[in-house]
Amino acid sequence: MRDATLSDVERLGAFDEAERTFQMTEDAFRIFYDQTARAVWVYLARTTGDDRLADDLLQEAFYRFLRTRTTFENDDHRRHYLFRIATNLVRDHRRRPRKDDGRMDEALEGLAVDEDANVGDRAVQRIDLTRAMGRLKKRERSLLWLAYAQGFSHEEIAGLLGLKTASLKALLHRARKRLVALLGNPRQSGERL
Amino acid sequence: MRTECPREADVVAAVLDGRWETTDEGLKTHAGHCEICRDVVAVASLLSVDQEQTRRDVHVPAAGQVWWRAAVRARLEAAHRAAQPLTWLHGIAGACAVGLAWTVAGMAWPSIRDAASWVSTQAWGVDSRVGDVAVLVAAVVQKSLPLAFVAAACLVLVPVALYFALSDD
Repeated sequence: MRDATLSDVERLGAFDEAERTFQMTEDAFRIFYDQTARAVWVYLARTTGDDRLADDLLQEAFYRFLRTRTTFENDDHRRHYLFRIATNLVRDHRRRPRKDDGRMDEALEGLAVDEDANVGDRAVQRIDLTRAMGRLKKRERSLLWLAYAQGFSHEEIAGLLGLKTASLKALLHRARKRLVALLGNPRQSGERL
Repeated sequence: MRTECPREADVVAAVLDGRWETTDEGLKTHAGHCEICRDVVAVASLLSVDQEQTRRDVHVPAAGQVWWRAAVRARLEAAHRAAQPLTWLHGIAGACAVGLAWTVAGMAWPSIRDAASWVSTQAWGVDSRVGDVAVLVAAVVQKSLPLAFVAAACLVLVPVALYFALSDD
């Protein structure tokens, strides 16, 4: 079978064709992307513990979002749908065998401790948080991030993760307790947090 | 054991909006006594600060770049989908060519058998004279000329047919 490759001319054609293929115009996409991309990236990075993977999943998430045929009621609906795609991508990735469990440590290298005391304290806090999050299951990270960084309601998170609200509340409670314990009791993780 | 508090949503909203310090004393007092809300304040404060700082630091690709990549990928996938029926066509053309070759071989088989029989007859009758070998070879060539034509036709026509069948244009 011949390989499916595109010439430069075809690439230009793809650009013209995109607005017919995708569910929103380029201008609308730019606005939506600027509003959501960073939040989605942080969610992906904190949930997977891998910045490079977050880069890849971000592109994939927006691609899937653009290709969807779903009709959105409003911007909140759009945003929730995007986070659902991101959650599914993380879940799909979770099912694959992990090649490297040390990615969370690599992520820590990017969090440089500043000389300034306040900034330094905050950086240390972030390092502690990153390490503690790294000790949690990916689903627990998703739950905590969606609830306490994104501010999604229990019902919204249950919808995103495909759980019953009652189960979600129990899981969220357990995840929260674990994170608090890890942050407050370094010995639990076997190292300083 | 309690796993939720009815005021949790208010606490989360206050922390994420950055107004926990200035929120009403009632909510703060509640959080001081409620174990769940105390944990929620601790976790939400850390996560929201981390999110804000990371959002500031992170460099995501520009919207135009993401749009461009998505457009090219969509086009590529469309090309791939369009190529799938062609793959089937290739398979069918290949199978037809094999079937045609098999049929031609079947049709030519009596001629081959006759030629082989004639050759063996001549071979038994040949004596040691060298001149007879040349006669034998000439006779074999003459006898199997139709077969050679068929084989040559197959060799020429099948690739030509395949070229037209598989050509992208």
